[in-house]
Amino acid sequence: MTDVALHDPHAVHAPPPPPPTGFRRLLAPGWLRVPWMTALFFGIGAGITCLVRWLEGWEPIWDGQVMTTVQLTAVPLGFLAAIGGFDYWMRYAVGSPTREEDHSGHGARSWRDYFRINTDHKVIGIQYLVTTIFFFVIAGLLAMMMRAELAQPGMQFVDNQLFNGLFSVHAALMIFLFVIPAFAGIGNYVIPLMIGAPDMAFPKLNALSFWLLPIAGFMMLSSFLAPGGPFAAGWTGYAPLASTHQPIGAVFFNMGVQWAGASSIMTALNFLVTIITMRAPGMSFWRMPLLVWANFTTSLLVVIATPFIAGSQFFVMFDHVMHTHFFDFTAGGYPLGYQHIFWFYSHPAVYIMMLPGFGIASEVISVMARKPIFGYRLMALSLMAILVLGFSVWAHHMFVAGMAPWLRVPMMVTSMIIAVPTGIKVFSWLATLWDGRIHFETPMLFALGFVSMFVIGGLSGIYLAAVPIDIHTSDTYFVVAHIHYVLFGGSLFTIFAGIYFWFPKMTGRMYDERLGKLHFWLTFVGFNLTFFPMHWLGIQGMPRRVADYAPRFADLNMFISIASFGLGASTLVFIYNMVKSWRYGPVAASNPWRSLTLEWQVSSPPPVFNFDEIPQVVGTPYEYGVPGARHAVFNGDRTHELEETPVR
Amino acid sequence: MRRGSVVQLVAIGAVCGAGAALVALLIPWMPHAASEQAGRIDLVFWFVTAICIAIFALVAAVILYAIVKFRAQPGEDADGPPIHGNTGLEIAWTAVPAVLVTAISIVSAVVLAKNEHIPHASAASSDRLTPLVVKVTAQQFAWSFEYPGFGKLTSATLKLPINVTTKLRITSLDVTHSFWVPEFGQKEDAVPGLETTLVITPDRQGTFPVICTELCGLGHAVMRSSAQVMTSQRFLSWAKGQQKQLGSSSGGASGKAVFTNNGCASCHTFTPAGSKGTVGPDLDKLAQEAQRAGKPLQEFIRESIVDPNAYVEPGFQKGIMPATFSSLPKAQLAALVAFLAGGKK
Repeated sequence: MTDVALHDPHAVHAPPPPPPTGFRRLLAPGWLRVPWMTALFFGIGAGITCLVRWLEGWEPIWDGQVMTTVQLTAVPLGFLAAIGGFDYWMRYAVGSPTREEDHSGHGARSWRDYFRINTDHKVIGIQYLVTTIFFFVIAGLLAMMMRAELAQPGMQFVDNQLFNGLFSVHAALMIFLFVIPAFAGIGNYVIPLMIGAPDMAFPKLNALSFWLLPIAGFMMLSSFLAPGGPFAAGWTGYAPLASTHQPIGAVFFNMGVQWAGASSIMTALNFLVTIITMRAPGMSFWRMPLLVWANFTTSLLVVIATPFIAGSQFFVMFDHVMHTHFFDFTAGGYPLGYQHIFWFYSHPAVYIMMLPGFGIASEVISVMARKPIFGYRLMALSLMAILVLGFSVWAHHMFVAGMAPWLRVPMMVTSMIIAVPTGIKVFSWLATLWDGRIHFETPMLFALGFVSMFVIGGLSGIYLAAVPIDIHTSDTYFVVAHIHYVLFGGSLFTIFAGIYFWFPKMTGRMYDERLGKLHFWLTFVGFNLTFFPMHWLGIQGMPRRVADYAPRFADLNMFISIASFGLGASTLVFIYNMVKSWRYGPVAASNPWRSLTLEWQVSSPPPVFNFDEIPQVVGTPYEYGVPGARHAVFNGDRTHELEETPVR
Repeated sequence: MRRGSVVQLVAIGAVCGAGAALVALLIPWMPHAASEQAGRIDLVFWFVTAICIAIFALVAAVILYAIVKFRAQPGEDADGPPIHGNTGLEIAWTAVPAVLVTAISIVSAVVLAKNEHIPHASAASSDRLTPLVVKVTAQQFAWSFEYPGFGKLTSATLKLPINVTTKLRITSLDVTHSFWVPEFGQKEDAVPGLETTLVITPDRQGTFPVICTELCGLGHAVMRSSAQVMTSQRFLSWAKGQQKQLGSSSGGASGKAVFTNNGCASCHTFTPAGSKGTVGPDLDKLAQEAQRAGKPLQEFIRESIVDPNAYVEPGFQKGIMPATFSSLPKAQLAALVAFLAGGKK
């Protein structure tokens, strides 16, 4: 690397290898290789399956269900191999000389580079965010269709199979293709910058982990095209409904979860190793920004918990396709076993979908209130407390499931206790606001919207944790209201806060503040009008996951549907703002929010390898209001090193 | 913190708390309870609500106060005071919520224990009502209720005597369902291969909906029945009447009894059985439907019961009617077909 090139984000590459010519273009990693290599993998999958069935004498040799299941693995593998996801490792594995790293797959020179295997965490972060917003819009449209059907009792637009498919795919996409990977995208972009690293620890793994996502997303979506219709057992996919009473579309969900889960695990491992080993000199754990802490904790949750949902979906798939009996009660299977395994992942998953949001809120609130985060150490420790407690509360989803009755009270107590560290975080944000100099730019509006909505979601969580109330409200619209206050008012608001906050850093341009504020208010009002009335519906007696309901709920449902269309429309403002500002927005300064953390101390967008000089971290990241305080200094700028402020 | 700001803060908090309290009190949140259990659940609900209103008011007050008072002036680039924390405050907001959730847990645990308490029948009494046991069987997409204390008595709707502790023994024949009567406040899943229990002591007469709350397939939204609470005398005479009907017709093989006991009435209209369901096709018009399917009436009816998807009446969907009726005993199936075929008369 030469010093000259480092300052221009687009100039640091070694010259790309000479482009292949003639038929060799078909052999080089990339989209030209996709058609034939995918077909090849399809053929291999089909061949092996038919061969085994023929040898075993199983009729028919070509079985649609089995073939679909095999191809949901083989075809994506072919696609990943074709675009070059495995080239480096394959060369290494077969012992042929690996190509020297020329960084040609690093950084983006044009929009085309976003559609290739790219090893730059900043490119990958943007790939993640654009992809997840695409699926967010699709999943939102599915919700609009659901609300259209629910506007009146009786059946109007869709049949039962399609309706059940709508809410199942809506939830699956929102969870596995939006909230979880959107946080991974923001983390991908920001974490290496925040800790003063040139990239993630495993850039090739990082590239691969992104490309698993579109596979998972399109797999779940394409279940609408499967014979018999989409998977319609809810995103929770309870067996035996999901394992023995579903069309082949259910397998698209089982396998889609595997791809999304594998992506999550790879990213989490990458985050963990990056955060543990690649922090800049002086960046002790107690000097890490809270977003880094949050992603560290989240990644631990992901690597420990995600294998459980992978297992649960494999078992269901085996029951469905291979006629095993894991959850088939007529042959000794145990239906409640599914729920235990599923929730052992899916409760921690709630924190996987929330802790990174806590991190974003901490960054935004501290910077925009111009005050140090209140009780930094307790904020970090409460994340760890949630991590540990998060594994001890799964059965609160099962208070009415018929599990061992004695398990309910202990699970209630742990669920209640988890409110304590969560409360610590909320009160600390409030104390950070206190006596600050608060700037109400769009990220701050979303952060404050998050705190207030999350408090409501947390309080309704107390109702659901109390066993007698849960027995009444479980599986009703009260639960629908609760999860949307937590995942929409919580996770989604912080994702928006994060996107607006780092938009100038990612694109080098400023978003339109007026449109941003308009977006916030439309979302905030539309969200409350849509979801608050659902509390009442549920307590009064409307169960969730129904297309038809008692006539006495008709008026309120019509109201909710209209509000939800307004809420959906607010997303148009967001997308217009993003697209317009990315192209034509005013050029952003390197540090428009006057933040102290490291990502703001480099240009916008940052150089390809992030830091021209390795930063020296000399203090905590939130020393607002401390005269002359610095979080980090760069070489040749060590005058402030002696004023290092001790962590309280 | 100055004294004035404390007063203002408390004032905002009081307004927010009052607003939340009005929302809580003016809107009828909980259904009108019809069981002792629901009454106790109400108690927990209001206990939690009181605590939640207090927390909500506190948070809202601080946020609103901060938004108004600590707003940066346009163009102001000063920082706030570098306050890093306050050990006393941090201990307080760890300890106070811990105490509150402990209190909620204790109240909940006590109520849970009371709600599941079944009074023991005194040894002398052979009363079939202490407690009354009802076997609840769920299947796609119907409920059936069996009263083991009353011979083979089975009903498609739940009848309960008032002020009698009833123990429901719940199971499912196919997938997971969930039994819920909002007015009773009690809910429990029906799990295939397991028997779960639920205790209900009705204390108000009336008819309430029985709702399946666990997604169980295409007909989930229509998997409804009703629960009727009546006086003990009326309950006993109802049970006696039903038993008599059963006894008179060779072990329950009367077509009408088969129709009622298997929950057909919850989905189908059929005048001879007095049913008015509209989920499935109208069985008063079976003759025309058989014509459309191009099959003789008897054969059409038998096929439609045993293999419901063979022919689906236009305007209805495949896969809603359970296929489980193929396992009906032969005699019962024959009686049911005869009953339905003779329906027009």
